[in-house]
Amino acid sequence: MRPFPGIEPPAVDHPVMEADVVIVGAGPAGLACALRLTQLIAAAGAASPLQPDQIVVLEKGREIGAHLLSGAVLDPRALRELLPDFPADAPLEVPVVDEAAFLFTERRAWKFPFTPAPLRNHGNYVVSLNRLMRWLGAKVEAAGVTVFTSVAGTALLMEGEQVQGVRTDDKGVDREGKAQSNFEPGYDLKSKMVVLAEGPRGSLTKQLSLGLGLAGENSQVYALGVKEIWEVPEGRFPAGRVYHTMGWPLPLTMYGGGWIYGLSARQVSLGLVTGLEYHDPRTDPHHLFQQFKTHPFVREVLTGGEMLRYGAKTIPMGGWFAMPPASGAGWLMVGDAGGFLNSQRLKGIHLAMKSGMLAAETIFAALQAGQPARPADYTQRIAASWIRAEMWKVRNFHQGFAGGLIPGLLHGALQQLSGGRGLWTRYGAEEGHARLVQLAHLGPGPKYPKPDGQLSFDKVADVYHSGTRHVEDQPSHLHVADLDICQDRCRREYGNPCQHFCPAQVYEMVEGEDGRPRLQVNASNCVHCKTCDIMDPYGIITWVPPEGGGGPNYDGM
Amino acid sequence: MKILVCLKQVPAKDAPIKVAAGEMWIREDVTYEVNEPDAYALEEALRQKEAHGGEVVALTVGPARAAQVLREALAKGADRAVHVEGEAAAQLDCFATAEAIARAIPGEHFDLIFTGLQSDDYGFAQVGVVLAELLGLPHATIIMHLEPTATGIRVKRELEGGYFQNVDLPTPAVLTIQSGISKLRYATLMGIKAAKSKPLTRHSLEEMGVTPRLNRQTITRLYVPARSKKTEMLTGTAKEVAAQLVEHLKNDARVL
Repeated sequence: MRPFPGIEPPAVDHPVMEADVVIVGAGPAGLACALRLTQLIAAAGAASPLQPDQIVVLEKGREIGAHLLSGAVLDPRALRELLPDFPADAPLEVPVVDEAAFLFTERRAWKFPFTPAPLRNHGNYVVSLNRLMRWLGAKVEAAGVTVFTSVAGTALLMEGEQVQGVRTDDKGVDREGKAQSNFEPGYDLKSKMVVLAEGPRGSLTKQLSLGLGLAGENSQVYALGVKEIWEVPEGRFPAGRVYHTMGWPLPLTMYGGGWIYGLSARQVSLGLVTGLEYHDPRTDPHHLFQQFKTHPFVREVLTGGEMLRYGAKTIPMGGWFAMPPASGAGWLMVGDAGGFLNSQRLKGIHLAMKSGMLAAETIFAALQAGQPARPADYTQRIAASWIRAEMWKVRNFHQGFAGGLIPGLLHGALQQLSGGRGLWTRYGAEEGHARLVQLAHLGPGPKYPKPDGQLSFDKVADVYHSGTRHVEDQPSHLHVADLDICQDRCRREYGNPCQHFCPAQVYEMVEGEDGRPRLQVNASNCVHCKTCDIMDPYGIITWVPPEGGGGPNYDGM
Repeated sequence: MKILVCLKQVPAKDAPIKVAAGEMWIREDVTYEVNEPDAYALEEALRQKEAHGGEVVALTVGPARAAQVLREALAKGADRAVHVEGEAAAQLDCFATAEAIARAIPGEHFDLIFTGLQSDDYGFAQVGVVLAELLGLPHATIIMHLEPTATGIRVKRELEGGYFQNVDLPTPAVLTIQSGISKLRYATLMGIKAAKSKPLTRHSLEEMGVTPRLNRQTITRLYVPARSKKTEMLTGTAKEVAAQLVEHLKNDARVL
């Protein structure tokens, strides 16, 4: 079952493996779910209806954490609940010691007289999500759970509307879709429960959402975060300092903002979040980030330093009203896949982990009762938890920015005063790509400075620093349903925005044999952020997992 | 046949490598993977076992993180693994590394010992050869193909310029395996699961008395070569200039 266009996989028999629980994705949500299950097993002792070796985690990255990227400032609330001895040996870089928010104009940085409440981070930690999850992953494996790394879930095994397992990726398929001599067919992992922990815009989550018509009250909307880690001269930016910025280089009409976090005395994490709901199709989030670094305030931090790492990730911003039903027959959604993110605080790790833990409790209770998990049970657990309390308060936050930064801040203030309501019970939202404006209605596009190779980089140089690699001889994992649209209609109407929104130069318009521009897809550059799947104006790009093990390598990110 | 395969964990080929402060080695905050020629050595060992039976043992000398290459080997079909563990492993030269391997396998009596041709990081191409000497065994390098004979094995070695050499060797012997001689297999999910219960023996470098003091080579400085540009004008008649140019192309550019 492969509901998307693309090269047909070789027709073969798939070996079958049975497991009680299959978790797709070894991120904060998936790993917290797995670890919580093992804790429940241990607590139940001999009476446990589940054993750790009946829990399987699939991870498409080469190792746990390889595809994990975040800012990141961690709210430790969920981790503290999961591991009562926290922080113990957790690899936290540093506690937040000093914070501020700034409004950038092109030349100036205006410091907010006080840090707005949602951006306050006392008691939180600056972390590398990659390192933190490698640590948590080791605990999960030590508890007896099998984490299959370099293995992607490519299709859900379904019987009607009932999810019955996951098919994993075929290995050793060549460019034309033919089996090579080392071909290994994917497995059919039959399971009682599938936990979708794929992160934003997961491919199985998308299959399920399309197949069952799952949607929240609002459309899910996303932002793209582009990040680098720099080594800077000591004394430039202290460890534990957390700065957030609004404004330049983003125009006031666009949603987003920058960050600079001190990871250690000599390392900073910095990046820019761009809402994927902008009007101008020539907007380029990667170049906006490069421009951000040329601001005098940022330049001063980075000058004389060296860029070490690069990466990009999408963020589900839609909040409470954009969350699809979180559970159904044989499946549960956790973390970014289910939209568990507080867009006002721009934090999702703690919500992802908590949702994973609640999913674990739901599954375990159902197994104990010897019954299939009831979707309503998970929903009730979420509603009764601090997830709802936290997300309900900011349910209208992101939508308030539809008119730009100034109305957004005003709506935000109103909502703050009215417990999150603001002017309307539910602020609506439309899909981000629907807000793109055709070129005919726009003036000249944004001008980005040429990268200097010191402070700012082109996409190819940055992708090199993401450690991205794919097996070259495999079918493209980016399925473009109709190349004629790219060549003709999209070029005319939107100027092929895929060239701009992709932060890894996967999409290029090149001159074809007939002299007309043609879309070239450099699939091996892909950093798996899925912006193309989200932002393409015609909905003709579908991201599917490449052969497991391919993708970025976000060491220390 | 009982085969030992020596695997090294090296920085991933696509890792953004930076020279570490002190200019002695690279920054360690990169990703590591199995050395590519070693992966082919393992593949060859597994194919020999499939064809002729026996046992495949995977061995690495490396810090704790290097256990990854052993888990991968076990998942692909190795029967057991030996980890010679120590943080100092990255500072060992080829001689000390070969010593560490030799001291870790007393009484094992392998029929064949495979290493990769060379490592992607240091590129010495010597561990296998030195190991053969330490164990008093014959060896052959740059192996493309091997098959058992009545008296031992016959191997095909890659020479330069498209030439090959076929050699008969008695066993036991040490072979260094060339990259790209076959198609590497993937670990299956069953293989990965089964690997969890296969034996993995650990020895520490310290307990075997192997330290960088055994090294016979030292790195004095590691640096990125500075890019330089030099223009030389050739003078003389056209004939003289042409002759000079040919000399330069032969001796400096080495393209002729």
